[in-house]
Amino acid sequence: MAGVPQQQTDSFKFPKIHTDYPPFFTLQITASSRQAQLERWSRLVQRYCRHHKIFQLSIVDYQDKELFKNSKLNKTLFPDDIRKVIDHMVSQDGQQRAEWLTPAKASAWIWWRRPEEWALAIAAWVDDTGQKGSVLTLYEIVEGDATETQEFHAMDMDVLRKGLAVLAKQGKAQVFGTDDQQGVKFF
Amino acid sequence: MGNSGSKISSQDRAILDMKNQRDKLKQYQKKITVITNREKEIARVCLAKGEKDKALLALRRKKFQESLLSQTDAQLEQLEKLTSNVEFSLVQKDVVFGLQRGTEVLKMINKEMGGLAAVEKMMEEGAEARREQEEISEALAGQLSNQEEDEVEDELEALEIEMNGVSLPDAPNKTVITDGDLPNTPETELDREQKQKERAKQRRAQLQAA
Repeated sequence: MAGVPQQQTDSFKFPKIHTDYPPFFTLQITASSRQAQLERWSRLVQRYCRHHKIFQLSIVDYQDKELFKNSKLNKTLFPDDIRKVIDHMVSQDGQQRAEWLTPAKASAWIWWRRPEEWALAIAAWVDDTGQKGSVLTLYEIVEGDATETQEFHAMDMDVLRKGLAVLAKQGKAQVFGTDDQQGVKFF
Repeated sequence: MGNSGSKISSQDRAILDMKNQRDKLKQYQKKITVITNREKEIARVCLAKGEKDKALLALRRKKFQESLLSQTDAQLEQLEKLTSNVEFSLVQKDVVFGLQRGTEVLKMINKEMGGLAAVEKMMEEGAEARREQEEISEALAGQLSNQEEDEVEDELEALEIEMNGVSLPDAPNKTVITDGDLPNTPETELDREQKQKERAKQRRAQLQAA
């Protein structure tokens, strides 16, 4: 996974269903079409978050943003429906592509890459760059010049910690140090 | 997570401390860069408004921040050098450890082989055995069995007769036929045995002489 080019931060290209198809913003009643619709929203949310490197999505912050709102069609996906989309993403059906931060369901992790997928990417990078046995600060993994070409560059610190926890469980890494000055050693 | 891992050495912690220090310097540099950019912007605005003094002040502040920036650059370089040195020394330590282990193993193997004298003695014995083997092979190589040797000599005789077309010295009473095919000299079984014994005797004599 090493060498994945960094996502461009220029504008995101929405699919036709979002730009030109008003019913997309109203959750369907028929179970099968509703399921398909939720799945399309899930994919759209993942792609959008990946494009803009969004890890945590707060419903209050995003309910009136372009992701859930089409000004041209004058259509909005209402907060309750956003919640249902994310509920779907959290479920097995939605392949656990999201995780609520609190039971209040105000914001959620969007797993366009799950922590174990991040773990794989980081482990591959460590391998490719011969850094087994090295000590790195979490800051340099996320912000360092050496990771600029990696998808995990500029990633959320908490997501990084979750990914490293997966590696630690596999015995491939150990996180140590004090709170805001943590480092990790790879094995 | 946590600090209770046995895999983390005190050197690892020291390296982490240095790298954290480096990260702090880098963050500090980022901050200064933001400040210098802002001062420059202020100077630009002031100049546009004709407030030359204020613009100058802003540029002075910018200059000061820039001097801090170059100082941190030097510190950063030192820190990174030190970190690299420590990391390299750790690698060296591993290499030395590896060499030490290798030497120990080598010594042990040498000991198991019984030292130089034993090996030399064994090599000598080996060479001697090889020599002996070679001599035996040589002796055997030139030797065909008696019967084979007889056949060879018979063939030689027949060939001579064929080429010369002359009578055989050991069969003088036979009619000489000069032209072409000569019937093989008939030999009795007794004759043959006699000859074989004779030749074997000769060969033994030769071998003893050699």
